[in-house]
Amino acid sequence: MALGAVFVGLFIFALWTVGLVGSSSISSALRLTVPIGFAAMGGIFAEKAGVINIGLEGLLIIGAFGAIASLYALSVTPIGASIWLAFAFAVVASTVVALLFAIVCIEFKADQIIAGLAVWLIALGFAPFASYIIWDQTNSPSVGSFSAWAIPGLSDLPVIGGLFVATPPVILLIIAVPVSWYLLNRTTFGMWIEASGEDPKSLDTAGVDVRKVRYAGVLLSGVYCGIGGAGMALTVGQFVGSGDTMMDGRGFIGLTAYLIGNYNPIAAFFASFLFAGLEALQIQVQQIAGFDVSSRLIGIIPYVTVLVVLAFVGKTQMPSSAGDHYESDD
Amino acid sequence: MERRTFLTSVGVGATAGMAGCLVDNGDGDDEADVTVGIVYSTGGLGDESFNDMAYSGIEDAESDFDIDYQDAEPDTVADMNDMQRQFAGDEDIDLVCCIGFDHETDLIENADEFDDQRFVIIDAVVDADNVDSYVFREHEGSFQVGHLAGLLTETEYAHAGGETNPDDSIVGFVGGEETSLIERFEAGYIAGAEYVDDSIETPSAYAGSWDDPSTGQEIANGMYEDGADVVYHSAGGTGGGVFESAQSYERFAIGVDDDQSLSAEESSDVIVASMIKRVDNAVYDSIESVVEDEFEGGDTNDLGLEEDGVDAVIGQDFEDDLPDDIVNALEDSRQQIIDGDIDVPDNLDDL
Repeated sequence: MALGAVFVGLFIFALWTVGLVGSSSISSALRLTVPIGFAAMGGIFAEKAGVINIGLEGLLIIGAFGAIASLYALSVTPIGASIWLAFAFAVVASTVVALLFAIVCIEFKADQIIAGLAVWLIALGFAPFASYIIWDQTNSPSVGSFSAWAIPGLSDLPVIGGLFVATPPVILLIIAVPVSWYLLNRTTFGMWIEASGEDPKSLDTAGVDVRKVRYAGVLLSGVYCGIGGAGMALTVGQFVGSGDTMMDGRGFIGLTAYLIGNYNPIAAFFASFLFAGLEALQIQVQQIAGFDVSSRLIGIIPYVTVLVVLAFVGKTQMPSSAGDHYESDD
Repeated sequence: MERRTFLTSVGVGATAGMAGCLVDNGDGDDEADVTVGIVYSTGGLGDESFNDMAYSGIEDAESDFDIDYQDAEPDTVADMNDMQRQFAGDEDIDLVCCIGFDHETDLIENADEFDDQRFVIIDAVVDADNVDSYVFREHEGSFQVGHLAGLLTETEYAHAGGETNPDDSIVGFVGGEETSLIERFEAGYIAGAEYVDDSIETPSAYAGSWDDPSTGQEIANGMYEDGADVVYHSAGGTGGGVFESAQSYERFAIGVDDDQSLSAEESSDVIVASMIKRVDNAVYDSIESVVEDEFEGGDTNDLGLEEDGVDAVIGQDFEDDLPDDIVNALEDSRQQIIDGDIDVPDNLDDL
């Protein structure tokens, strides 16, 4: 299953390396992967710990809005428009919302699906509303963005050099994927997360507080989504709150991505990259001269592919106690 | 507990969601002669183009006449029907302005049902006695900016935040959603570029959304990467990403609907021109006709270059700096379009 997603990801990668599309398309696909990939990894931590978080989209929106609003606010203070500080504020904002979600789910035993839906709906209403208060309109002006970093040495390589000129959120993503995998599979904390979602009773018997582990899982999903949302907004330099907001369902794609990746951060990353890659590809296909097919038809390719992959590639193994409340006996 | 949490969550969510929707912008006195209800399109206020133009039209009308207005911003096309009906059924409202072609299907039914209400629709024609329609010949204005883009890509030019790349002759187009209206922009633009030289490449792509600057940015990144000198967008909020991309590649972009070198001022160093569409005048005129008691209904106003309904305006940082031969060539083509010597296609099949 996880292997399947890895293979699909590698296939796309191989398609590119043989020269169908240049390295700029891979960079573009990686930038498009940022919100999806971070949402997917965040979702893994929460769900593995036993709390299904379908509010990822909402947390991304809070991250994006938080980043732009803080950057805008900072620019009028003596501190100045520090992008990294705004980035940090956004992560805190998203984590605070995730904390509220965790309290509702763990302390008050709310239905996780409904509470997750509420997180999304609240963010969907709150962010444009707050934008309206700050800027008198649902969309922010352009406030500044990350500039790309060139990795010394590697970025001078021929052909693939372009891959090593990346925006900071992309670099963070590339670092976060193996780190998340290590955290989940090779550390005690990872074992606890796993046990909390699979068999909380055993974890409790072993003397570990299940509540705390679940809190940690949900809070991590807030941190990841904060990074994803802020990373996306600070790449384009503005927040758009009209319609479905600038997130436009990317959090839900992230949710699908980790299901395709069967809760493995690396496979989830490849699934996210598959979607983003197809998105970048469909943009290219639209521009082929003389290829006269409606952009609406081409635009659904990524979605259809993800659905097909989700339906036919292996079986997703949900943590057995995900979605269940845990009441300690003592 | 679960049930209560559900109700609370949904309640809070719905309230927060509705909070930005219906706003009464009156100054509090109920004695205004005319009250206008205005329903925007889904791009929403702050798109720095289409909806903001409509807004400035109604603001102008408010300062010139004794009017009051209420406005509504639909999040989705499905919200438009309710908002239209809410205003149409309100006895205090004398005119309902529907901004955008997405209103068309709902308005056909509502105009029939609320036959004593007056309506105005922008960007579509609704054939009813109580509806005035305003449409624009966007392809004419788009031809002008396409002509400018074509001239720029064939010239070595550097000013403010951008410079052209002398090796390639490429000008790009980014659309929001692919509709026949937006294809009019695309067709006019491509025709304008090809009017300069048939060999100019004109890649175009649609983001599939009016609210997705990230996708807009990636599309433009790809075009500039391929060597495009100018990218024109007709994509609402998605266009912000095009400007961001132009700035990072230090190339040029063209705005749409209003003078975006003013409305998106942070990007004025790359916005060489904007294809303006006087939605504000259309809204203003329709309100004036109600105030003056001259609203007839059933009229279709087709506004092009000749009627000043559309125009190509040079960005504020580029005024007086563009080479004279470019400015003169633009003036010539403008006159030829008005005189009918240049036939501008309004769809991609006629290119």
